[in-house]
Amino acid sequence: MKVIELKNLSKIYNPETIPVRAINDITLSVEEGEFTAIVGPSGCGKTTLLNMIGGLDISSEGSVDIGGVSINEMSESELTAFRLQHIGFVFQAYNLIPVLTAKENIEFIMVLQNRDAKTMQERSDDLLDRMGIKDQRDRRPSELSGGQQQRVAVARALASRPKFVLADEPTANLDSGSTEALLDIMAKLNKEEMITFIFSTHDQRVIDRAKRIIKLVDGEIVSDEQL
Amino acid sequence: MILSLAWKNIWRSKRRSFVVMSAVAIGVWSIIFMVSFYNSMIGAISRNSLQHDYSHIQIHHEGYLSEPGLGFQVKKPSMLMKFPSQIPDIEAVSARLIVNGMVASPKTNLGIQVYAIDPADERAVTALSGFLIAGDYFTNIKRNPILLSQKLAEKLKVKVRSKVVITVQDLEANIRAGAFRVSGIFHSKSPRINNGVIYVRHEDLSKLINLPDTAFNEFAYLLKNNESLIETKQMMEAKTNNLVRTYREIAPEFDMIEEGSAISKQVITVIVMLALLFGIINTMLMAVLERTKEIGMLRAIGMFKSKIFFMIVLETFMISWVAAPMGLMAGFLTNLYFEKMGGLDLSQYAGALEQYGGDAIFYPAIAQSTYLLLMLVVMMTALIGAIYPAIKAVNLKPLEAIRKL
Repeated sequence: MKVIELKNLSKIYNPETIPVRAINDITLSVEEGEFTAIVGPSGCGKTTLLNMIGGLDISSEGSVDIGGVSINEMSESELTAFRLQHIGFVFQAYNLIPVLTAKENIEFIMVLQNRDAKTMQERSDDLLDRMGIKDQRDRRPSELSGGQQQRVAVARALASRPKFVLADEPTANLDSGSTEALLDIMAKLNKEEMITFIFSTHDQRVIDRAKRIIKLVDGEIVSDEQL
Repeated sequence: MILSLAWKNIWRSKRRSFVVMSAVAIGVWSIIFMVSFYNSMIGAISRNSLQHDYSHIQIHHEGYLSEPGLGFQVKKPSMLMKFPSQIPDIEAVSARLIVNGMVASPKTNLGIQVYAIDPADERAVTALSGFLIAGDYFTNIKRNPILLSQKLAEKLKVKVRSKVVITVQDLEANIRAGAFRVSGIFHSKSPRINNGVIYVRHEDLSKLINLPDTAFNEFAYLLKNNESLIETKQMMEAKTNNLVRTYREIAPEFDMIEEGSAISKQVITVIVMLALLFGIINTMLMAVLERTKEIGMLRAIGMFKSKIFFMIVLETFMISWVAAPMGLMAGFLTNLYFEKMGGLDLSQYAGALEQYGGDAIFYPAIAQSTYLLLMLVVMMTALIGAIYPAIKAVNLKPLEAIRKL
């Protein structure tokens, strides 16, 4: 089942003055359960592509369908609601809320979804357990290592039960051990629960684990390998 | 959880939150102190003028206002004397014969108003005997005793038992002069009386200007309370065809002083609130700008603008909710302290305060409703102060924040 479908997607900055094509006529689809890495040199358009898939940026041309729903024509508030219900985000710098504990950070997105307390409790306990950070549940981000923080961030992204998770350079700030541990967890979730992950990355360790590698150069797909 | 998050956000920068909370608390405290001070001062001026000078209600002949003097004496004075027994809210009455004249001592002479009174009645209405600082209340001098203020005594260079000559005109405009002796020297709380009124017995002045014992041109009534002022005036008007006026009609400056005081209090409150407003805006703006990335991330993961707006407003409200009661409590305790200590002694400014009829001791006075009103004003200020930072927060673009990640 197609989770993401991009058709002739382009992003042009400064269209009136000096047009810069950050993304140029990309057409691709992502199936449920894929473990996809978008790779390429700096400035090739990885993050721009991820932002458009995530509804954070608007395409200049082409369309983005998520689960069969076109997000191109959505208003800002519709996009916000769509992101909340259907897309999980993992950021390079973790971006947890510093005043909340690990458990509260995971539950926060469910608060935004108006889930009941019992559901939140069960979901956050389950995710903390699967991420291997159950003992850290009452710690604030400043009391956690980088790897532990990123695991909380992944748990937060999964807490809302999204259609897929977008991860922008998720391992860029992690040491080798933490990177391997995080990739193990994500690979396990992908394998056992068919959770779709899409990464933008430079990290060879991530690329090595990916089942599909899309290579971008100058905003265009130059290769798309299924492994 | 948003409530909890807002509360936790306040304490991210403890020092900054403490500073803004202190500013709010001190602002609230200062307003309470200033309002209490104003109330005390204005209350004293009004009370002193009311109780020791004008009284609540005065009755004159209709023509007296255009031509004050002996020509327009009140009609049916015996009936006016009976009002305290007929109208329940009247505490006491003093009938007066007031005439302009001169008082002369061996050293100098001064233009004054002579109040011819019944000493017992006047004491009941204006508490005049309580202000004596030398001599006594008409009893130590058998023939023609007078009371005059310390200020007049100093000007005339007289003391108790000194002889003075009072010169007045009778009904036919003949000059009449009589020798009087200073029975007592007083210091009234009314600047008007201190500056130019002397008291003599009604019987002595009547004799001097050949008027009967029933000749009066002013009746002053002290009421049991101020609330029944209009009602009592109307009851009096129904019983007499003389001119009945309340102290507010006699002395419009009462309204002016009270209105001026109200305006002053409002101006002070507005100034303090404006200062707090900018403090709150500044603090919350800093808090928002420091959290640009975080707010952008919240928008990215699906937090609606309305919830972010609500969160920032809530944070601002919480700061005020904590700080304002602290200020109110500090104000309350300050007032309580001065109450227990017998007031704030401002004797060093007594001269200036007495010029306006005020007291040298400041007794804090504030209505309980002021505390509630002030709390509401602070909340309103917080709400206004929250709007700009909250708008700033909701206008952050998630993408821009993501790019900074």
